[in-house]
Amino acid sequence: MVLLVILVVVTAASVYIATAGYASKLADYDAYRAAAQASGLDRIAPSPMAPLSLLRGGLEYLEIIGAVIAIALGYLSIARERANRTIALLQSRPVTGGERALGSFLGALAVFATLVTATALVGILSIGLIAQDWISPSEGFQLLLAYLAALLYLGAFYCLGAITTARARASANGLVVSLAIWLLVVLVLPQIGDTLDADNQLPGGLFQALTLDRDGETSVMAHFTGYEKTRTLIEDTSFAKHFERFAFAMTDVKDRYRPFTLGQLLRETRTDIIWLLSATVALFLGLRRTYKHTPSTGGNS
Amino acid sequence: MITTIFSHQVLALRRQRVLLVLVAAILLATALAGALGWSSQSTIVRVFDEATRQLAASGAPAPPNPFLLKPHLSLLSNMVVYIPLVGALFAVILGHISIADEESSGLGRLLFSRSMSRAQYTTGKILSLALVLAGLLLASFAVSLAALLLVNQGISVADLGRLSLFYTLSWLYLVPFALIGMITVLLTTSRSLALLSAMGAWLVITFAVPQFTSGLRPTQSLNPIIEPIGLSQAFFQATAKAQPLSIVEQYKAASAAILDTAPSVAVMDTVARVMPLLGFVAILTVAAFALVRTHDFSRSASHE
Repeated sequence: MVLLVILVVVTAASVYIATAGYASKLADYDAYRAAAQASGLDRIAPSPMAPLSLLRGGLEYLEIIGAVIAIALGYLSIARERANRTIALLQSRPVTGGERALGSFLGALAVFATLVTATALVGILSIGLIAQDWISPSEGFQLLLAYLAALLYLGAFYCLGAITTARARASANGLVVSLAIWLLVVLVLPQIGDTLDADNQLPGGLFQALTLDRDGETSVMAHFTGYEKTRTLIEDTSFAKHFERFAFAMTDVKDRYRPFTLGQLLRETRTDIIWLLSATVALFLGLRRTYKHTPSTGGNS
Repeated sequence: MITTIFSHQVLALRRQRVLLVLVAAILLATALAGALGWSSQSTIVRVFDEATRQLAASGAPAPPNPFLLKPHLSLLSNMVVYIPLVGALFAVILGHISIADEESSGLGRLLFSRSMSRAQYTTGKILSLALVLAGLLLASFAVSLAALLLVNQGISVADLGRLSLFYTLSWLYLVPFALIGMITVLLTTSRSLALLSAMGAWLVITFAVPQFTSGLRPTQSLNPIIEPIGLSQAFFQATAKAQPLSIVEQYKAASAAILDTAPSVAVMDTVARVMPLLGFVAILTVAAFALVRTHDFSRSASHE
């Protein structure tokens, strides 16, 4: 509950912070469009505003704090069963390990759906009320896809927390192991990818320090394709980065995705979708296997 | 009696596999920071060489040498990110284990049947945690030094002093997180709630507070090179006043000044940045003493 409150508050704050100047820029564009229509112009420039991008901070919090909440829930689901000694009782009933795993996973997804819905509502209301821009139905659908991805992402971390806890003799050790994995996947691997970006080597940018323009940068980087591939490969090993890429594409965070249709967006992010689905399925199967082999007595905390 | 508690705690942590994991993780993070620093240096050299070659071919003058903009100790700039991420989280876990394990094992019930005051107990606990953290950072210091010697082909006395100062500051930064780990066990009735509350505090300090006071998004906090953010909003004009209390930002700014990876600032400015951290340590230490004094050690914390 403490972590949930933190998540909702920081999401609202991050949208509030992101709306700096948004409402006035939107008013400027509306004024331009009205003037253009009044003067009978045929071609009116499309709006440069992307209200969904204001949710970037909220999505980043889901990526970081949400994953911790999911691990904690996975840990608690096993640790409580151990402490209350309900495992032996469950095993005496005609319930298979697979059914227990599925039941536990669906229960966790229901909790995450509540959490994600609360975060989404706070985000949408904040955009409407603070930035004075209500999202359209098509934007709403893209947002729905982003939050469905968030559900898969959180579900995967739930499985991780439950698996490591169930496999550890002491529950707390299992929690530490899953947190170490979280640290690596969510914070360290994406950070390595960013840090290795050639332009990120100096404050203000390496290419600016070398007085190279965009063409010069492209020309120089053409000699570093191996380096760039390695950097991308490191980032690609992070499951969290795939969630981030998909969610950012769906919420117009990256400029290059904004002109794309939904079909194009889904095609562009198909690798991320495959990663999200396969990692979640693999971890669920791991959970199923763990439940099948869970001894009726476990270690203490 | 303080020595007994101190040596028992160090021994208990040494026996824990968790401690091994923590040592390995800290050393791995340090080695990673060194490897990334080396990669950064070699990328700059290769990009500079290529840029010079291309500009010379087109008759343009050679660009300025970017190494003039790259300080020697910038090789370790990733450590400034890893200490608040990896180090602080593990300090929380160490602090948590130090109290929670005694409750789980029932040792808490026996402790005060000995002629020992609660103040002695708390002092022993805090000293042992501080020593273990110092040991972790000493190992990390050795790896950093080796990386610097390997990549930079040597280190000046001044840089060695800066490095030592940086690790001293990092130790000071980690101590309050170990205290948070201890305090949450003393404040809550279940072990899991204690650990999650401590982690909640770590998340707020590391990610939420910098966003409120400086507009830094969570993923921006992960990059050692942070571009300045416009803080003209009325919101920030109010919250920026609390920036001195954002200890993670103060730690990063003071570290950058110590490692000379940021524009020079007066020594007193850096000292001023350390003050909130000292205040935080003092408040948490007082809280730990007060909570241990009133804590019911007769209860068993086998609750999850």
